[in-house]
Amino acid sequence: MSTEAISAERPKRNYNALFGLTLLALLVLLWIILSVATPSFASANNISNLLRQGSMIAILAVGQTFVIITGGIDLSVGAVVGFATVIVAMLINAGVPIFLAILITLLVGVAIGMFHGFGIVKMGLPPFIITLATLTSLRGIGLLMTNGNSISINNDAFQLFSRSSFLGIPNLFWMVILVGIPAYIFLHHSRWGRYLFSVGSNAEASRLSGVNVQRTIYMAYTLSGLCAAFVGVLLASRIGIGNPTQAEGWELQAIASSVIGGTSLFGAVGSVHGPLLGAFILATINNGANLLNVNAFWQRIITGVLIIVIVYFDGLRRRGK
Amino acid sequence: MTSTAQELHPAPTLEPGRTILELKGLEKRYPGTHALKPTNLAFKASEIHAIVGENGAGKSTLIKLLTGVMPRTSGDVIWEGTPAALATPHEAMALGINAVHQEVVLCRHLTVAANMFLGEEASRFGILQQRAMVREAQKIIDDLGFDLPAHVVLGDLTIGQQQLIAAARATVRGTKFLIFDEPTAYLTRKEADQLFTLIRRLKGEGVTIIYISHRMEEVFELADRVSVLRDGTLVGTRNIAETNDAELVKMMINRSIEQVYHKEHFTPGATLLEARNLSGKGFENVSMTVRAGEIVGLYGLIGAGRSEFVTALYGRHRKSAGQILWEGKAVQVNSEHDAIRLGMALAPESRRDQGLCLNLPVGLNLNLPIYKRISSNLLISSAQEKTEADRQIANLRIKTPTRKALASSLSGGNQQKIVIGKWLAHGAKLFIFDEPTVGVDVGTKAEIYRLFSALLSNGAGIILISSYLPEVYELADTLHVFRRGKLVATHGFHTADHEEILTQALAEKQEKPGGQI
Ligand SMILES: Nc1ncnc2c1ncn2[C@@H]1O[C@H](COP(=O)(O)OP(=O)(O)OP(=O)(O)O)[C@@H](O)[C@H]1O
Ligand SMILES: [Mg+2]
Repeated sequence: MSTEAISAERPKRNYNALFGLTLLALLVLLWIILSVATPSFASANNISNLLRQGSMIAILAVGQTFVIITGGIDLSVGAVVGFATVIVAMLINAGVPIFLAILITLLVGVAIGMFHGFGIVKMGLPPFIITLATLTSLRGIGLLMTNGNSISINNDAFQLFSRSSFLGIPNLFWMVILVGIPAYIFLHHSRWGRYLFSVGSNAEASRLSGVNVQRTIYMAYTLSGLCAAFVGVLLASRIGIGNPTQAEGWELQAIASSVIGGTSLFGAVGSVHGPLLGAFILATINNGANLLNVNAFWQRIITGVLIIVIVYFDGLRRRGK
Repeated sequence: MTSTAQELHPAPTLEPGRTILELKGLEKRYPGTHALKPTNLAFKASEIHAIVGENGAGKSTLIKLLTGVMPRTSGDVIWEGTPAALATPHEAMALGINAVHQEVVLCRHLTVAANMFLGEEASRFGILQQRAMVREAQKIIDDLGFDLPAHVVLGDLTIGQQQLIAAARATVRGTKFLIFDEPTAYLTRKEADQLFTLIRRLKGEGVTIIYISHRMEEVFELADRVSVLRDGTLVGTRNIAETNDAELVKMMINRSIEQVYHKEHFTPGATLLEARNLSGKGFENVSMTVRAGEIVGLYGLIGAGRSEFVTALYGRHRKSAGQILWEGKAVQVNSEHDAIRLGMALAPESRRDQGLCLNLPVGLNLNLPIYKRISSNLLISSAQEKTEADRQIANLRIKTPTRKALASSLSGGNQQKIVIGKWLAHGAKLFIFDEPTVGVDVGTKAEIYRLFSALLSNGAGIILISSYLPEVYELADTLHVFRRGKLVATHGFHTADHEEILTQALAEKQEKPGGQI
C-alpha cells in the first residue's frame, strides 16, 4: 500500500503552495478582466496606486495572521494604525529625528501588543475582549491627545518616502517585501513559527511538550502590534497627517485578507503568502470597482459576498482532500 | 420505572443464530489509504463478535461505516435482509445500530444526564425537563451497576468513567446491534468487569455485540466468534472455542511473538528523583524514588491519583506540600519548563487533550519537544526535522502515508505512538509514561517495551502508570499501588501476586486512614 499511498499523498503535501497559486491565478484573472474592461486600470499610475492601497492592509494581515494561527484575534490593529499616525506626527513635529520618531512609534506598537498578551495570559481575558477594549480606548486616547484635530506633519522628506518609487515599484510595496520575507522565514522555518501553530492546535499538549505557551502568545500579539504601528508610520507618511480616527475598519479588512488567504479562524492553519495575496485581491476589487464607477455601497456588498465564496471553496477543498 | 426497563431491554426480534447484518463487498478508501478492502462478513443475532487486528488494520473504519459516521466507497450492508444506506448516524440509530467509539464523542461541557439524552431530550411544552432527566439517567446508571453521579459535568469525570457513560448512553436507545471500539482501553479491571456484566446481559436480551480490543484475554473471555483484520483485509473468522491466542496473533501480524513483555533487569544506578511526602490535588503524602535503570510502576484504579501525582511532579499542577530531590539536590519544579530542563519527559494520559496537536502534521507533533535542538540560531534544519520524524515513524511503525499527514488521520493506536515517540529523541533522564500502550497492538507493544529497555540501558529511569495490571506487573522493578490518592503498598518485581495487588488497589476495609507510612 505504501507506493499507492505516497503517490496519492502528493497533492496534499503541496496543498499550501497550491492554494497560494490558486489565489495568485485569481488575482491575475482579476487584473486581466479589469484591463480589458477599463483602459485606465492598466495605467502605470493606477497600478502604483493599487499597490500602495493594498500594501498597508497586506502588512496588517500578516501580523493578524500570526495571532489568528494561535487561535486568537486582534481587533485593535485599525486603532493602533490611527494612534501610531498621531504619535509619529507629534514626534516629528516636535523635532525628533525621523529615524528615532519611527523607532519610538514602533515601540509603542510593541507595548500595545505586550499589553494584549498580558490581558490574555495573566488576566485570562478572551482575545476578542481585550483587543476590542484597546480598539475603543486607543481611539479615545488619540482624540484626547489631539483634541480631536488632525496634526499635519511639517516634514517633506518623511512624506516623500511613501510617494516615491524604487526601481519603478512604489516604496510602500517594497515595505511589504521587507515585512513579508522575514515573516515567511519566521512562520515556516523557525521553531517559533511551529510553536504558533502548535499553540493554536492544542495549547495543553504544546505546554506539556515544553513549548512556552505564554511567551508564544505574547509574541503573536506583539508582532501584530508592531506590524500595525509600522503601517501607522506608512500611513502618516502617505497622507501627511496624524489623525486618531484614520484606518477605520482596517482591522476587518486585515482579518478578511487573512481569511481569504486560507487562514482558519479556528487556529493552526495559515501562511504568510496567503494573506498577502488576499489583501491585494481585496485592493484590486475596490480599485476596479472605483474605476468602473460601481456604487461604493455595492463595493462593500461585493466584498462580503467574495469572502463567503472564497472561504467556502477553500473549506470544500480541505474537506474533499 | 417500567418505561426505563423497556428502553433498556429491547425485545429480541430474532432467534439466535440468524444473520442480522451482512457486509457484501464493503470497502473504504481514504485519500492515500485503502483502509478497508472489499469485505464479506455476516453477524449473527445475539452473538458477541470480536474484531481484532493491528493498529490501522481498519477496525474503526469498519465501525464508522456501519454507524453512518463515514460514507463507504462501495459495497452493501444488508440489515435484516434489506440493504441499508447508512448515510447518517441518525439512520443507523433508527435501525438499532449504536456504537461506543474509540474516542469518546460526547459533550464535555454538558452534564452526564444531558449527554445520555442528547438528541432526545425530554421536554414539556418545549422546556427541558432537566431534573426528570437527571433522575432518569441516574436510574439507568444505577441499574447498570456503575457507581457514577448523573448531575455532574462530563468533563469532570476521568476518561474511563466517560467511556462507561458512553456505553450507558448506547444501551438506552432500543439497541439491537451494539459496537464497542476498545471500550476497556482506559478502564481498570473493576470497571471492565462492570462493562462485561453489561455486555453479557445485553447479549442475553438478544442484542448483537461487536467487540474490538487489543487484549486477547478479553476476547477469549467474552466473545463467541472472532474476526481478524490485517491491512484492511478480513483474514478469517473463527469460533472462539476453536482457536487460541497464538493463532490469532499469527493471523493479525503474519508472524509470531514469543514474548510481549520484554523485560531486562539492569542494576539500578544512582537515584534520579526522590519525592518526599508530596501532596497536591488528588494525592496525599506520596514518597518514592526512581533510580537510573529501573522502571517504577504505579498501579491503581482510575482516579486513584496516579496521573495527578505525576503531573504535579512534572510541574503542571501545584504541590501543596513536600519536596522533590533531583539527583540528590532539592529542586523547585514549578512549571513543566523546570521539569524538562532537569531532564524529565511526560507522555500524558489523554492523547486528545494533552498529547497531540491533532490538526497538525505527524512530523510536527513528533518534533515538538526537540525543535530547539534541531534548529541552529533561528532556523530549523529541515533535513534534521525530516530524519528525526522519519526515524520515530520507522522505529515505532507508525502507520502513516508521510510525516506530513495530519495526526487526526491516523488510527487511534498510531496516534498513541506519536505521544510516546515525541519524547524518545529528547534525551531525557526520567521518562514518565502515563498509560503508554492504550490502544496499541500486540506487536507494537512488544516494540515499545523493547524501547523502554533501550532507554534504561542508556541510564534513564522510567515511571510507568498503567491501569492494566499485567503490564506494570511484568515490567516494573518497583511497583507502587495507589488507592484514593495514597500510596498504599510497594512491591518488588514479582514479589506479590495479582490477587494481592488487586485487593490492595480496591480494598476499602483494610484502609486505616492516616495509618500509612
Ligand atoms: N480520516 C482519515 N483520513 C485518512 N486516513 C484515515 C482516516 N481515518 C483513518 N485513516 C487510515 O485508515 C487506516 C485504518 O484506520 P482505522 O482507524 O480503521 O484503524 P484501526 O484498525 O481502528 O486501528 P487502531 O487499532 O489503531 O484503532 C489507517 O491507516 C488510518 O491511517
Ligand atoms: Mg481504531
